[in-house]
Amino acid sequence: MNRLHYIGKRLVMTALVTFAVILLSFFMIRLAPGDAATVMAGQAGFADEAFMKTLRAEYGLDQPLPVQLWKYLGAVAQGDLGSSYVRRQPVLAVILERLPNTLLLDAFALVAAIAGGVWLGGIAAQRPGSAGDGVVTTLSMLFYAIPQFWLGMMAVLVFAVWLNWLPPFGIETMGADNTGLARAGDVALHMILPGTTLALYYMASYVRLTRVAMIEVAEQDFVKTARAKGISERQVVRRHILRNALIPLVTYAGLQASILVGGSVLVENVFSWPGVGTLAYEAVTGRDNPLLLGIFIVTSVLVSLFNLVTDIAYSLVDPRVELG
Amino acid sequence: MIRFARIFFAKPATILVFAAFIAIVVTALAAPLLFARGPFTIVGMPLLPPGAPGLLAGSDVLGRDMAVALAYGARISLLVGVASTIGAVGIGVLLGAVAGYYGGLMDELLMRVTEFFQIIPSFVLLMVLVAFLQPSLGSTVIGIALISWPQVARVVRGEFLSLKGREFVQAARTLGMRDSRIILTQILPNALPLILVVGSMMVGSAILTESALSFLGLGDPNLLSWGSMIGGARSAMWVAWWTSVLPGLAIMATVLSLNFIGDRLNDTLNPRRQR
Amino acid sequence: MLVSIQGLTAALPPGADRPLAIDDVSLDIAANEIVCIVGESGSGKSMTAHAVMGLLPRGVAVTGGRILFDGADLLQDSPEAMRKRRGRDIAMIFQDPMTALNPVVAIGRQVTEQIRAHRAISEREARQQVVDLLSQVGLNDAVVLLSAYPHQLSGGQRQRVMIAMALSLSPRLLIADEPTTALDVTTQAQILKLIKKIQTERQMSVLFITHDFGVVADMADRVAVMRLGQVLENGVVAQILERPAHSYTRALIAAVPKGACAPLDSAEGGPLVEVRGLSKTFRRGGLFSSRGAVTVVDDVSLTLNRGETLGIVGESGSGKSTLARCVIRLLEPDSGAVLFDGADIAKMKSGQLRPLRRRIQMVFQDHHSSLNPRQRIGDIITAGPRAYGENKAAVLARAADILGLVGLNLESLDRFPHEFSGGQRQRIGLARALMLRPDVLIADEPVSALDVTVQAQVLKLLDDVRRKMNLAMLFITHDMRVAAEVCHRVMVMRNGKVLESGPTHTLFSAPASDYTKSLLAAIPGRGRL
Repeated sequence: MNRLHYIGKRLVMTALVTFAVILLSFFMIRLAPGDAATVMAGQAGFADEAFMKTLRAEYGLDQPLPVQLWKYLGAVAQGDLGSSYVRRQPVLAVILERLPNTLLLDAFALVAAIAGGVWLGGIAAQRPGSAGDGVVTTLSMLFYAIPQFWLGMMAVLVFAVWLNWLPPFGIETMGADNTGLARAGDVALHMILPGTTLALYYMASYVRLTRVAMIEVAEQDFVKTARAKGISERQVVRRHILRNALIPLVTYAGLQASILVGGSVLVENVFSWPGVGTLAYEAVTGRDNPLLLGIFIVTSVLVSLFNLVTDIAYSLVDPRVELG
Repeated sequence: MIRFARIFFAKPATILVFAAFIAIVVTALAAPLLFARGPFTIVGMPLLPPGAPGLLAGSDVLGRDMAVALAYGARISLLVGVASTIGAVGIGVLLGAVAGYYGGLMDELLMRVTEFFQIIPSFVLLMVLVAFLQPSLGSTVIGIALISWPQVARVVRGEFLSLKGREFVQAARTLGMRDSRIILTQILPNALPLILVVGSMMVGSAILTESALSFLGLGDPNLLSWGSMIGGARSAMWVAWWTSVLPGLAIMATVLSLNFIGDRLNDTLNPRRQR
Repeated sequence: MLVSIQGLTAALPPGADRPLAIDDVSLDIAANEIVCIVGESGSGKSMTAHAVMGLLPRGVAVTGGRILFDGADLLQDSPEAMRKRRGRDIAMIFQDPMTALNPVVAIGRQVTEQIRAHRAISEREARQQVVDLLSQVGLNDAVVLLSAYPHQLSGGQRQRVMIAMALSLSPRLLIADEPTTALDVTTQAQILKLIKKIQTERQMSVLFITHDFGVVADMADRVAVMRLGQVLENGVVAQILERPAHSYTRALIAAVPKGACAPLDSAEGGPLVEVRGLSKTFRRGGLFSSRGAVTVVDDVSLTLNRGETLGIVGESGSGKSTLARCVIRLLEPDSGAVLFDGADIAKMKSGQLRPLRRRIQMVFQDHHSSLNPRQRIGDIITAGPRAYGENKAAVLARAADILGLVGLNLESLDRFPHEFSGGQRQRIGLARALMLRPDVLIADEPVSALDVTVQAQVLKLLDDVRRKMNLAMLFITHDMRVAAEVCHRVMVMRNGKVLESGPTHTLFSAPASDYTKSLLAAIPGRGRL
């Protein structure tokens, strides 16, 4: 009952976030200097006042704000995010075409970051202050301070240009027309550099978080109880310390997803990965505001859905959820 | 103060990092004095390697002095980092303090707003903001402050909430102190160390965010920053490594030293970390 | 001898307040007896227990001595051999059963884990054993409890689970480290009884760590008194209680409040504070959800006369602290009236309230958090008068007087709270309250966090101050013994309601409600000290 209640609350929150994002987008359009009519008139090459007026009437821009908002909400609810100025296609279609590539890259990075971060953080937490701890903490601090896009460029420079080990750009070899497993292997090979670049920054924060959480949990009374039971040290760490230390990481994974999307914009650009991130860059350079807003709305909704999933996962791993 | 310095500099590396950071700050401040001609002046052939006559750090794609550009870039990075952090900390502390101390509807509202900012991809929002406001130094600072303040507010709110429950604050209320006085003399001095730590960490992340924006071409078009230098060097990366490597190292050194200082501040000031 | 500790010495890490945690401790525990180690905080009693268990905290290392268990020196055991002993030969229970149980693992699993670490049996068989164990320690619905989580249990139930866990492999020695300190007094009595019963049935040995001579009197066969890492004396319980050899032991025993009503001067003065029908309800949950409301104070009325001390006694959750906070308007009462000198302050606006506020002051429980760590004592105790804009010179002169009254010297003014001991900090808190020359002093568990000898001093100080300044005092406590020593009248609360009230002597000798009777019966060491 309590868990259902909790999940219900998170569902409401997800809906509210979605609503707020759309609201924000609407006001962002108002914020931009000049309205859609000016832009279109500019593209059409002439700006006669009468024509502008027709345009405004046609797009409902002369109507009161609440009416416009209501229409905007209705349109977005039906999946109509407007059409891209540059590509002259529905924004949603353009985004959906690129989305799978981004999801693939981000999922790889998230899994790699969590796995590597928990593993390394765990090693560091075993002996705080030891040499191993020092190396892990220093490295995580370093990767936390390196701009991701630059790290990506350096990776290209070293592994693609100098060593020639890995392909530097794209998602697959151009013109190779691979199919099946061969294609999957090709994509995987292309994913190593961007995926790792993206993962390292988040891995650094997971290392820090896991380390601190495990050291903190290790000092709790129930760990002493576990030792007093005479169970093996391995069990103490796995069942008692790690089990409790990982709970905050579940929530953190959700919060990380939103930052991951930002990082993915940069990394995709460096590696010419044909995802939503490169699309966002194209939208910026082409001053394609509807596309940029569409990307904001779609990624926000996806991330908040992902947060809903981690929240539900959290309610499954932490029996105390009813207290929160 | 002496006690503080002794703990702060307890790790030998701290002195080194602190010195490096001071050097970066001094370079940034002194750039107009050292290189009066500015970063945009073309001084020679493009893509001359570091060590070429008169060019300590080589020249870039357009034949501009990389060393001058790096020094001026430091100004932008530090300015944006500090200004946006001041903005974010200002808003965050004010709202966080009110929400934490008074609770109620205001608190509920603030928590929902910070949650919102945590969930949405804030870098994409920043891109949208800056693109819609037109890229400029001002819009960069405002944008970064706008996406960063909820983090500060959350931390400050938590700290105020916990301090408010402490008995010395309750005692202050029974003594008849006014709320404003309690906040200023009882709670804030105890919350300050945490605010300082969060602030110092935030400067570093703001510098990273600014460099990312500039890299994507969303920086102020009239200013040369480290991020835009790297963005401009993408085509030359294959033939002239220094054009991208050096500004990247500059960003890394600055952020690393700031984070390190924040870490040390945390160890020194945060009583919960002292063990 | 089952256990023989010989010359055990353990060093604290450098920088601690003393070099040795345990200093040449020797102690025997025979089969089938309960040995109590009694001492104040920092005496090394808990360290000694942890040393036997092989679980000293990081940084504390044994530097000498032997711990013979059934003839074998535990200190020579390999870590693996010692691990196998833990839980099987020696089991341990801890002070706070809430933090001692893993919050995210079901109860059943936490117990079976121990059994299966030592015996090759299946989870199902182990669960069957756990059900038996849980019923043995007095937990009904054992099958349901298997899948419950610690936060769903009460404090007493949790400690019973800990005991069941400790008993699961029939150890020969049970170490109990302050097992009832975090529990309410009636629960404490039940748990003590349970430990005693099990010890007798199973013919176990128990090493029982406590700070409370009352508990010692109830439980021990033999007693060791520790101070600053050393055993001061050691003998059978009757001898230690009746003919203590060491002056410190005498002081400790003398300091235990006996629950006997001390003769107090009779308080004569009209009513100063009258509380009528006060209620306070807390709503849980936020904007989008409300998970019901809890009425913490339910229609309470009381009268506090000039110059008298009224004790409010109750266990945790009785609403006694909330009541006090409503009276002083740290919390807003939902309904009812608080008449202070005739004026109802329950609903007064803060502007009107302010001049009256200074006349009601409060002393808090937690001496760690009751003083602002970043202010000097001088600033802390003059903050009140300065908030009312009093003349600085006059305030400083009064600060000197008040410091003298609470037994602190003038140099304290320039020092910070962390430079003082717990008892001294409590004196500073009292000084801060007295600086405003209040008429009413609310003392919320003012001695609960203090060692027993310090506790006696602070209680005496409070009573002196009350007399000298003719204060009316509202004294909140969970401890019947403490209430008996300082209160003229006592009021017993439970679940937000007043069960009974009356002159201390009458209430103690002829309690009307069953609950008060059980509270009195639960006083440890009653009649034996």
